[in-house]
Amino acid sequence: MESRTFQRNIGALEAVFAFTAEAFARQGIDPGVLQTVDFAVEELFTNMVKYSPMSEAEVRIEMIGIEGGVEVTMIDYDVEPFDMTKAPEVDVTLPIEARRPGGLGLHLIRRMLDSIDYEYSGESRQSRITFRKTAVAGSGR
Amino acid sequence: MLAIDYGPTGTVVVSGRLDAAQAAAAQAFLDKVEGTVTVDCSGLEYISSAGLGVLLKTQKRLLASGGKLRLSGVNRHLQDIFGYSGFDQLFEIEPLR
Repeated sequence: MESRTFQRNIGALEAVFAFTAEAFARQGIDPGVLQTVDFAVEELFTNMVKYSPMSEAEVRIEMIGIEGGVEVTMIDYDVEPFDMTKAPEVDVTLPIEARRPGGLGLHLIRRMLDSIDYEYSGESRQSRITFRKTAVAGSGR
Repeated sequence: MLAIDYGPTGTVVVSGRLDAAQAAAAQAFLDKVEGTVTVDCSGLEYISSAGLGVLLKTQKRLLASGGKLRLSGVNRHLQDIFGYSGFDQLFEIEPLR
């Protein structure tokens, strides 16, 4: 398992992506799922940045190879509960006049990942999101 | 990193990664295009929802004035994302050959 913390700002994304690529290479994880994992990590990370701006704690990302893919855990410290996995569905069939930017990220990762789970500890004010992506399950590569 | 500029044939050529950190730069460029514009995505490796937002905002603006964005050279990963997001119904998309 590999773990690293990242500053709570969008500018940290480049370092986040470098970490995911390095972890994939070191652990021999199927590179075919890297794009989807990066997508999910970015959407969750940017939501943590946007919706918990009062926290000064860094965000921790843990990655471990599993059969056919990877399990990723993202831990957000000193935050209020916000279960991103329960975000409302987006109607992607609307005509362009009715479409608005935003809200698509969580909609998309629910379709692209094998699983995604949210836990919150009120005692430690800690959110923990764990997702899995394998090359053989889930709709996106 | 992201690179976006005009190509030799007047298309907009975008390459690299269109993520949340790069979306503002892409939007600033696309805010200046007019009419019907082809965006060559053959070098675009990755797009997130922030990048989708840039494309959607630009498409809405161009359609309002009779133009549009066309996306060419779209790789399999981007095709999946466009499909899941319904963007395949909002844009003309030509897959990467």
